[in-house]
Amino acid sequence: MLRAAVVSVYVFLLLPLAVVVAAAFNAGNYFTFPPQGFSLKWFANFFARREFMQALWLSTHLAAWTSVLSVLVGLPASVALVRGRFRGRDALNAFVMSPLLLPQILTGVALLQFFTLLGWAQSYWALLLGHVVVTAPYVIRTASATLYHFDGALEEAAQSLGASPLRAFFEITLGVIKPGVVAGAIFAFAISFDNFTLSLFLTSARLTPLPIELFAYLKYSFDPTAAAVSAFAIGVVLVLVLGIARLMGLEEFAGF
Amino acid sequence: MAPAVLLLGPLVVLLVVFFSAPLVLMLITSFARESFGQVTWQPTLQQYARFFSDTFYLGVLGDTLVLGAIATVAALLMGYPLAWHLARTRSRLKPFLLVLVLSPLLVGIVIRCYGWMILLADRGLINATLIEHGWIRKPLPLMYNRFGVTVALLHVFLPFMVLSLTGVLKRLDPHLLEAAMTLGASPARAFLEVTLPLSLPGILAGSLLVFSLAISSFVVPILLGGFKVQVLPMIIYEQMLSVFDWPFGAANAFVLLALCVLLIAFYIRATERALQGIR
Repeated sequence: MLRAAVVSVYVFLLLPLAVVVAAAFNAGNYFTFPPQGFSLKWFANFFARREFMQALWLSTHLAAWTSVLSVLVGLPASVALVRGRFRGRDALNAFVMSPLLLPQILTGVALLQFFTLLGWAQSYWALLLGHVVVTAPYVIRTASATLYHFDGALEEAAQSLGASPLRAFFEITLGVIKPGVVAGAIFAFAISFDNFTLSLFLTSARLTPLPIELFAYLKYSFDPTAAAVSAFAIGVVLVLVLGIARLMGLEEFAGF
Repeated sequence: MAPAVLLLGPLVVLLVVFFSAPLVLMLITSFARESFGQVTWQPTLQQYARFFSDTFYLGVLGDTLVLGAIATVAALLMGYPLAWHLARTRSRLKPFLLVLVLSPLLVGIVIRCYGWMILLADRGLINATLIEHGWIRKPLPLMYNRFGVTVALLHVFLPFMVLSLTGVLKRLDPHLLEAAMTLGASPARAFLEVTLPLSLPGILAGSLLVFSLAISSFVVPILLGGFKVQVLPMIIYEQMLSVFDWPFGAANAFVLLALCVLLIAFYIRATERALQGIR
């Protein structure tokens, strides 16, 4: 009985994603079972529509910059948080992770008002900074996980052999913790690429990332072009997840 | 090692300016007055009074909490067997199963909702299949109501529940359960008196997490509720982006924020206790 329950929950988890992918390759306007034949026309429609292509480009661009900035601010911070011995470290740790705990709709609303008063609303910068706020904690989490396992004696050895602290960090430590950092960067990319809630408050008609474009499309039409867009996004994330799994293992990544 | 200030500086400045400051600004705004699209900075409790005296908003708040509670209980009932399996299995498929559990988290929320729309719509997969076989004549109302919203919420938040539970169940000593059964307890009694109490911290942590996520969800109620299911986050969105009544929108946001902060505080205490219980 336990087995049946477990299997049905797995099916429940997978079913909506499976039908999206199936509908994307299905020839009919409505997805039925059995499918009505294989077709790539919904993908052709996706790639032919200018608004989807612009949105895809913006999302990719935005996710790449978000990932770079998250690592630039997140990696040094996680070094200080793992190795530093200073007062208020635990409080700081909680503070830098807090964007993960707060519902994104609240972060989004607050940023919308803030950027409007600054006169930056609906700009690329607003979107980028908003994304970095919610992705940097993920980089800290993955980088910290690998830093904890790093043997500090290696860095000391490099220094006693004459390397400067900075050189020892870049040549020894970074080499060892690289998988965690790269996994964090990939994850930041994926989170930004898929982000909807925060983007909703920071976009304009000229500046729509792919999930927002998809949402706008779904409000008025139900045709499987949306499925092709979704299947494409699922494919992108799948490749990224396989990358993370190879780099650090999913168990550690999931935090247990 | 470079001083911690230099290493932490950029991130802390970024978060103070683009996370803390906006939230403080929103808090101040919620105590301001609004008239004809102009915000007057004059401290008042008017917005909160309006929220807590209007039966419409109180009703929406109630509906939001009920929806959150239903999603939480359902996630617990579905998540527990799964977490148990994941914590105990020695299967070679385990990495694959973990990806399966995490998959809803890794796929964008609009896509997950769209998947449920394909399944639950009037001409969707489930209704079409049932009608084709002649089992029903009219499509079942699966979407644009509370049922559809609950199903999709459950799908989105189940992974959080499973991960919270797996963490606790994995550290639970299987010998305890064996000992109880050796001493004559039935499997059901051993579960109820040994496993369940020991996994209580995980249950609490997972439930608080799912509840706080469910009451602040916004995309799911719009796409699967079709504006027929009203929740607090939708009111916030409307006030901020359609009505442009920022003080009232901010006050709504702070009601939600207060609820979430309270739940998160309980969550942190529950997880700490869960970790202590294991040691």
